[in-house]
Amino acid sequence: MFKNVYDWIDERLDITPIWRDVADHEVPEHVNPAHHFSAFVYCFGGLTFFITVIQILSGMFLTMYYVPDIINAYKSVEYLQTQVAFGQIVRGMHHWGASLVIVMMFLHTLRVFFTGSYKAPREMNWVVGMLIFFVMIGLGLTGYLLPWDNKAYFATKVTLEIANSIPVLGPVMKELLQGGTIVGAETLTRFFAIHVFFLPAVLLILLVGHFIMIRRQGISGPL
Amino acid sequence: MSHQHEEHESSHKPPVRKEMSRRQFLTYTLGGATAFMVAGVTLPMVRFAVDPILRDKGEGAFVKVAEVSKITNEPQEFHFELKQQDGWYLSTANLVAWIRKDESGNIYALSPICKHLGCTVGWNSNSNFPDQYHCPCHGAHYTKEGKQLAVASKPLDEYKVMIKDDWVYLGEIVPNTIVS
Amino acid sequence: MAHNDKSKQEKVVFVGDSRVRRGNGFVTPPDYTAYPGKSEAFIPNFLLKEWMVGVVVLVGFLVLTISEPAPLGFPADPSASVIPMPDWYFLFLYQYLKYPYASGNYVILGTIGIPTVAFGALLLAPFLDTSKERRFYKRPIASALMFLSLASLVYLTNFAWTHYKHELEKAGVEPEHIQREEQALENRLAGLPPAGSEPQAEIAIVDKDDPAMEFYTKATCISCHGADLKGSGGPSLRGIGDKHDKEAILAIIKEGYNGKMPEMYTAAMNAGLTDEDVDHLAEWLAKQKAEAVE
Repeated sequence: MFKNVYDWIDERLDITPIWRDVADHEVPEHVNPAHHFSAFVYCFGGLTFFITVIQILSGMFLTMYYVPDIINAYKSVEYLQTQVAFGQIVRGMHHWGASLVIVMMFLHTLRVFFTGSYKAPREMNWVVGMLIFFVMIGLGLTGYLLPWDNKAYFATKVTLEIANSIPVLGPVMKELLQGGTIVGAETLTRFFAIHVFFLPAVLLILLVGHFIMIRRQGISGPL
Repeated sequence: MSHQHEEHESSHKPPVRKEMSRRQFLTYTLGGATAFMVAGVTLPMVRFAVDPILRDKGEGAFVKVAEVSKITNEPQEFHFELKQQDGWYLSTANLVAWIRKDESGNIYALSPICKHLGCTVGWNSNSNFPDQYHCPCHGAHYTKEGKQLAVASKPLDEYKVMIKDDWVYLGEIVPNTIVS
Repeated sequence: MAHNDKSKQEKVVFVGDSRVRRGNGFVTPPDYTAYPGKSEAFIPNFLLKEWMVGVVVLVGFLVLTISEPAPLGFPADPSASVIPMPDWYFLFLYQYLKYPYASGNYVILGTIGIPTVAFGALLLAPFLDTSKERRFYKRPIASALMFLSLASLVYLTNFAWTHYKHELEKAGVEPEHIQREEQALENRLAGLPPAGSEPQAEIAIVDKDDPAMEFYTKATCISCHGADLKGSGGPSLRGIGDKHDKEAILAIIKEGYNGKMPEMYTAAMNAGLTDEDVDHLAEWLAKQKAEAVE
C-alpha cells in the first residue's frame, strides 16, 4: 500500500535520488563520535538545527495565546505561563532554547573556525553561516521585548539608544525600529512582526542554502 | 529504506528462523530515537494547544435576575450581567431573558436569540403576531413557550432557572425543554 | 560527482511531457575513499549516533525547562526604576560600550568602528585567512585573534554580570522575576488566586473623605504612591489592607520597606503631623481592602 503510493509519486516527481542522496551518503570516520570521541565537536551544527526546530515549533504554539499589544502582551504571557497546562514548559522551551541555540551556534562556529573548515572551497558556506548567526542574534533581540515586562522594556530602550548613537543613520534607524518617538505600542507590534515573520523567513532561506552547500561540498576532510 | 529491507529479506530467505539483522536493528533504534525526540518536543506543545478543550468548564454560575413576585403570565424582559473570564480578559456580557410563569406556576426564561440567524426577537413587537415572539429580520415567530411557528427550525433556547429566597437566578443557556 | 561521465552516456528519459527524469531509482552518493578510515552511511548508521547525542541534549533540555520556569518580571512601566539588563549574549557588547573609547566622543568608533571591523572580519574570515593550512596552530594570526576575541568576550560578559549582581545587592533588590514568583507563591499560600486570573478590576478607595487622606498628602506619601493611591514611583496602595495590617503599616512608615521605600515617619513629623495622625493614617490604610468596597 505504502509502496504503491510511493511508486506513484516517485514516477511523477522522481524523488528517489533526492532522499537516497541524503540517506546513503557516506559519513567519514573523522567526524564520527563512535570512532573518535573528540569528534563530538562535529555534533554542534546538528544540535543547533535541532534546537532551531524546537524554537520554531514552540514559537508557533506560543502565538496561540500571545497577543502583541501593550495592554494584553504581559497578561497573555502571564496567563499562558501560569494558567495554561504545560504553558510553563512551552514558554520555558522557547526561552531557554533561545539561549541554547546561541550557545550551540557559537560552539559550531568555533569548531568550524579552529578546524579551518571555512577555507576554500567552503568560503560561501561560512558567510551564509555568519549571516545565520546575525539573524539568530536579531531573533533574540526582538524576542526579548515580547513579554513586555520591565526587563524587556528597559533592555530594548538601551538597545535602541545604541542604535541611536550611530551617526547620521542612527536616529532614523531608531525611529524605524521603534515605529514612533517612544518605545510603546508600535514598537511591540514591529518587533513581533520582525521576530515572527521577517527574520524566520530569512533564517529558513539561509538554512536551506547552508544545507545544500554542505551536501554539495561534503564535509571537510580530516586534519 | 523499504527497498533495502526487501533486498535483505529476499537474500536471507533460506533460513527459517528470522533474526534481526544489524541493519534492521539500527533502523529500529533510529526509529525509536526519532519517535522519542518527536514526542518529547511536541507532546508538551500539543497539550498546551488543546488546553481549552480539556479545561474544567465548571457549572455555569447563576446570576440573580428578578424577584419571583414580579414574574407574571405575560413574558417580561429582564436585563442582567454575566461576568465572563475569557483567558486573561474579564468582561461583562449583557444578557436579556424573557421570563414568564406558566399556568401551573412554573417559571421559565427564554433567550431572545432567534434560532434562525441569531437576530433578537421581541415579545408582541409586531401587531400581526399578537402574543408571540417575533423576529424583525426574517419574520420568524414563536409561541410564548418558544415553539417556532415559521422560518426558524428550532424553538427558542431557555436559561437554566433556579429559585432561591424568592429570587429568580438564571444560569447557562440550554436547548428548549418546554416545547419538545 | 565523480560519476558524471557515466551518466552523460545514458539516454535521458523524461516522465510524460514533464522535465522529470525517469530515474533508475538509485543515485550513487559521493564516496570518501580519499579519506582514511571507515566511513558509514548517513542513514541509519551515522544518524543514529548523532541522535543519541540529540536524545541526551533533549532530556537535559526538558529537565531544564521543567525545573526552571522562564523568568517573567512585572509589566513594563516606563516610570519604574529598574536596572536595565540585556539578555546574557549581549552583555559583552553592553559592557564594551561603557568604556571611554567606545562612548562619549568616541561613540562612533564604539558603535560602528570596532563592531564593523570585528564582525566584518568574522564574516569575511575565509577571504582574509586564505592560506591552505587548516590546523589552527599553523595559522597563528587568525587563531591568536580568535583567542583574543574569546578571552575578551568572556571577560566582558563576566564583568558585566558581576557588576549587575553587585548593583542589585547595593540597591537591595532582587530581580523582578524572582519578586514576582515570590508574590505568586505568597498569594497561593494565602489562598488567593494567582495574579493572572485575578480580574483586573479597579480597587476603590475606602473612606475617601476620611481626614487620613489629608495626612496622606501632607506626609508626602502622595509623591510616590500617587494622589489617587494608585502609585506612581512606588506601588499602588489600593487594597493595601489585604497585604498588611495596621501594625505592619506603622512599622513600614517608621522603618521603610524592602530597601526601596525610605522611612517616612520623620517626614510626616516635619510636615506637622502628630503621632495620632500617623496612627490614624496607618489605621485608614489598613482599612483599604479590596472586598470592603462592595
